[in-house]
Amino acid sequence: MVARLEITLKPDLFDAEGEAIRRKARDYFNIQLDEVRTIHVLTIDAQLTQEQLESARRQIFTNPVSQISSFRPLATPFDWAIWVGFRPGVRDNPGSTAVEAMEDLFKIRFQPEESVYTSRLYLLCSDRLGKSKRGYRSVEGIARQLLANDLIQQWRVYSGDEWNPDEGIGIIIPKVRLAHQPSVETLSISSDAELERLSLERNLALHPRDIPVIRSYFLQPEVRDARSKFGLGDPTDVELEYISQARSDHCNHNTFQGKFSYHDLSTGEQTVVDNLFKTCIEAPTLRLQKEKDWVISVLWDNAGVARFDQDTYYVITGETHNSPSNMEAYGGALTGIVGVYRDPMGTGKGSRLIAGTYGYCVGYRDYRGPLKPHLHPRRLLDGVIEGVRDGGNKSGIPTPYGQVFFDHGYMGKCLVFVTAIGLMPATVSGTPSEKKTTTAGDLIIMCGGRIGKDGIHGVTASSEIYSEQTPAGHVQIGDPYTQKKMHDFLLEARDEGLIAFITDNGGGGLSSSIGESSRFSGGAFVELDEVPLKYQGLDAWEIWVSESQERMTVAVKPQHLSRFMQLSHKHEVESTVIGHYTDSGKLHITSQGKTCAYVDLALLESGFPQWEFEAEWVAPEHRGLREPVLSPPDNQRRILLTMLSRANICSKEWIVRLYDHEVQGTSAIKHLVGVERDVPNDGVVLRPRLDSLRGLAIAQALNPTYSRIDAYHMVGCTIDETVRRLLAVGGSFQHLAGVDNFCWPNIQYHPESNPDGKLKAAQLVRANWALKDYCLGFGIPLLSGKDSMYVDGNLEGEFGERHKVSGLETLQFTGTSVIEDVQRCVTMDAKMAGDLIYVLGLTRNELAGSEYYDLFDYTGLNVPQVRLKEVIPLYRALEEAIRAELLASAHGIYRGGLGVHLALVAVAGELGLDVELAQVPSEEVKRDDFLLYSESAGRFIVTVAPEHKTDFEELFKDLACDCVGQVTAKQKLTVRSPGGKVLFRVGLQQLKSAWKKPFENL
Amino acid sequence: MQKDNNISPSSFRSRSAPKALVLTGYGLNCDWETAYAFELAGAEAHRIHINQLLMGEKIGQIARLEDYQILAFIGGFSWGDDHGAGVLLATKLLYNIGEQILGFIEAGNLVIGICNGFQALVNLGLLPGLDGDYRSRRVALIGNDCGSFRDQWVSLKVEEDSVCVFTRGLKNLELPIRHGEGKFYAEKPVIGRLLGENQVVLRYADSEGSPAGGSFPENPNGSLEDIAGICDPTGRVFGLMPHPEAYNHWTNHPNWTRFKESYRRGGEPYPQEGYGIQIFRNAVAYFR
Repeated sequence: MVARLEITLKPDLFDAEGEAIRRKARDYFNIQLDEVRTIHVLTIDAQLTQEQLESARRQIFTNPVSQISSFRPLATPFDWAIWVGFRPGVRDNPGSTAVEAMEDLFKIRFQPEESVYTSRLYLLCSDRLGKSKRGYRSVEGIARQLLANDLIQQWRVYSGDEWNPDEGIGIIIPKVRLAHQPSVETLSISSDAELERLSLERNLALHPRDIPVIRSYFLQPEVRDARSKFGLGDPTDVELEYISQARSDHCNHNTFQGKFSYHDLSTGEQTVVDNLFKTCIEAPTLRLQKEKDWVISVLWDNAGVARFDQDTYYVITGETHNSPSNMEAYGGALTGIVGVYRDPMGTGKGSRLIAGTYGYCVGYRDYRGPLKPHLHPRRLLDGVIEGVRDGGNKSGIPTPYGQVFFDHGYMGKCLVFVTAIGLMPATVSGTPSEKKTTTAGDLIIMCGGRIGKDGIHGVTASSEIYSEQTPAGHVQIGDPYTQKKMHDFLLEARDEGLIAFITDNGGGGLSSSIGESSRFSGGAFVELDEVPLKYQGLDAWEIWVSESQERMTVAVKPQHLSRFMQLSHKHEVESTVIGHYTDSGKLHITSQGKTCAYVDLALLESGFPQWEFEAEWVAPEHRGLREPVLSPPDNQRRILLTMLSRANICSKEWIVRLYDHEVQGTSAIKHLVGVERDVPNDGVVLRPRLDSLRGLAIAQALNPTYSRIDAYHMVGCTIDETVRRLLAVGGSFQHLAGVDNFCWPNIQYHPESNPDGKLKAAQLVRANWALKDYCLGFGIPLLSGKDSMYVDGNLEGEFGERHKVSGLETLQFTGTSVIEDVQRCVTMDAKMAGDLIYVLGLTRNELAGSEYYDLFDYTGLNVPQVRLKEVIPLYRALEEAIRAELLASAHGIYRGGLGVHLALVAVAGELGLDVELAQVPSEEVKRDDFLLYSESAGRFIVTVAPEHKTDFEELFKDLACDCVGQVTAKQKLTVRSPGGKVLFRVGLQQLKSAWKKPFENL
Repeated sequence: MQKDNNISPSSFRSRSAPKALVLTGYGLNCDWETAYAFELAGAEAHRIHINQLLMGEKIGQIARLEDYQILAFIGGFSWGDDHGAGVLLATKLLYNIGEQILGFIEAGNLVIGICNGFQALVNLGLLPGLDGDYRSRRVALIGNDCGSFRDQWVSLKVEEDSVCVFTRGLKNLELPIRHGEGKFYAEKPVIGRLLGENQVVLRYADSEGSPAGGSFPENPNGSLEDIAGICDPTGRVFGLMPHPEAYNHWTNHPNWTRFKESYRRGGEPYPQEGYGIQIFRNAVAYFR
């Protein structure tokens, strides 16, 4: 029988969840509601007795102190009500734990067809909504745009008048019913055209150039011969899916491995760049690995490995989850963070997660223009923030750092960067922890969640431009609870020496995890009938490529199987033997007892044509860019306050507070510092080993607006900023490690659909050249990195027309550094009145792409540039000054320039600064506004106690470093023009409230 | 035992060290730092999976409650916090080893519940334990008034008349809170009794150390009477929302770099240990 249990807060209790919805309805849609109350609904579809149901109600699902519940409708009078539940097949985490709890309480097992479904009923009270069609439309808008996402959820709207208080919402069961009889199909390869047609029809996303290679393989007589022994002829859908996944841009990085014909139209020079990955990422990193013994394992595993201390390594990688987040912000971002956490878990023999970070690039939160993105940026950002919140917090992993950037270009597709850091012992049962392999005879075990239709074709979809036709099936909801149990289990198995090889099931599912791990042993035999499913009715190819989350693939020696399973049982994690590794050279898969795939592993390694791109570079001055004709402002005070209120400068404290940034007890420098703990520090520092003073510094940067001028300098400035952020907290120049995450619009030229593709391709080449130059220059090995192309969208406009919107060429750079003693770390806030203020590094006339120019809608031409020879000696001196504990504070000058960052140093320390602009080291910059808002790289603001003046100045003699003023007890920022005349003076409270205002209500 | 290099074989403890059982598994997550805090305070801490207590034989790792003197319910998201924070953890324990836990308390041992652990204690009915009734739910920790999860450091006033053994000698302390469901709620008569019978241990306070009077963000979740932690009538069962284990080192404090400048210029030494460890030291001292 089916029962519907409703639970709600006692009527006199404040409903915080409802109140949050009331506020959002007001802020998002200007809809005034008096009150919103929520009712939680559990629809229990199982053979339970009345007594069992009643007992579950009382003993599990109702808190007698704060809640009331009933198997009858609980709704109190309302004007409108909205019910929101999941669509069939969507992961329902609370539904699963409800089953678990009842199984435990009644010592029973739910049958496969029995289940619990959770949903919510929202009661809206407002006499202003009206009962008419207009009222319905407003309520429907709240349902569609605020409470539900139609990709994963369904909803119903009830008016107070038509509500039947006895029936309530009735019984709604979102059970998956697949009438489908699973099968394996054979696809014709009679011609290239035929296979191309089938590829389109089945959404295989095979690249047209790959098609002849695939055909010729399956047409080889010896291949046909070998296959016929297993009853196979033409390729099966399982085989083609496998090839498609492995060849997708997401898995194979065809763009970065491509061949670029680079033509500089300004100089006439032509160059061929064969493989950006090999020349600009792999080669420099291998070179640096030889020089730096702390680089342990790079360029092959799920994440990079570096030494933390003598017997501990840290593991790091960064991912993006743009396409899924763009469609379902919460689920996409949640799956992104939970997914990236599996990479360090699957690196070496497995590491324990110690931190995650985020980066969000979205359209402006207050966008009011005519374009209609799938999700408005405000809702998209809220959803993304909440997804990472739940994914990170529920994993028990601190989220200590992150960044947000707003730009119109990200309306087409948002960017969601997620980074994961783990820690592992240098050796595991006497063997190097970073090494692993599969051997013929090892068992293939799938651990964690079960497989459903979720996430099918995720990989190929993220390699496409977003349109309304993109299949919705690839949206998933991550489950941090299941993964946390698996994480704890696998670490225990690792320490008992039970894991020979481990990798995660992310993009491409089993197809990619087994496909890649079987290359070590030289083959694999997989029985899909053994794979645990969420529900029946999946075709073999769907099981093989499904991206259902929270799964790892582990190689275990047969003699370790029983202990492995015992530990799996202890942690209540499902583990299943689904095959074994072989050395046959083949990937051999069976379904319903028959072979459904029999392919040479070597097929993927040879013969596929390289992708080719035409790149045409036009220097910015020849693209019409020039410096604006702009006179200095009269009201400098107001300019500063306006700058502080801009979206890309202002406080985003609300996000930081939503994230648990100190679980594990390792936090040493937090993201928010200062007297009131509300100003972002340059970087954060963890003390991941509680018994040690050693620290791991983490910082990230992105500067996409400089790409408007030249992506080469965008990359240079982004790497430089990351380095400065690490050094400012006390990072070491000897240990600077990087993770590059490129997000780029489509670079394949097309005269109609991508007319500037060649320029975007040239930007990508230049960006990679800069990556190589600056990584070698600063000595930064790239421990890991990923690229995500196709940051474009076609958005509907006011008249039903569609506009292509491309994201700015973006690199997020993540840096880490190891600090010997965290007690030497420094924060950015001014500490004591009477301290001296110094500015390090030269300010130049470099305002192109700056926040200041953007304020006036200018781009400009003079983009900030990083001059390695000039900055490195300065950075080394700064490192020494921090090591010698000569600084009271240190802060880099980033977006917004000197003016903005002086204000933040003062606000954080609640101390005044008295600064003379004439003393700021500069190269021919005469204008006050340019000194205040130029975004030249390589600069810092530091404060120094007077007793350290001599030692400090000695360290920096002959370098660009000048004392520009003093910290004062007055609560004011005073900036003086040459000659000492006060240019402006502004109270700290005023600065702070301008900086906090834009998002203060969030 | 995982060899994660996180906790070194302890040199802190003496031979008479009490043994602390730190309960792990099912989404709980503050196990390493809580065990470390106990070790730092001089206890012998073991991280024990819930199933080691429930079905130790089946999994080849038996643990028994009676071998321990301190039981710690730690922070985290047991069962993902679905159906109310700490609810499913409480159900699991109550219907499997409920009697054993009651026996453990009766035997004069200590129980601490931090964050999710506090939520579990009130759902088990071990708190507030009015009239020695350790089976009834009388108080609740419900959704924060601010409507979301929140991470911030709070100032706490320690009620000096409280019977709690974990806070003896403490007056004020600062600790981080990190929760979405931490609003302390009970009906008026219950709150009145908790106050009257000195079972209120910690209250959210302003920078002066006086109760916050409900003002946000000093009282971060809207808790009635600013209550952040309570104990049972014996003072041996203690639950609190803030995380003392996350203040295990002086550099955990958000303002430590500011304190450092004062220490340095005043020629004073740095404190090293975080003040949160005092709570664990009191637990260890109880057995000496």
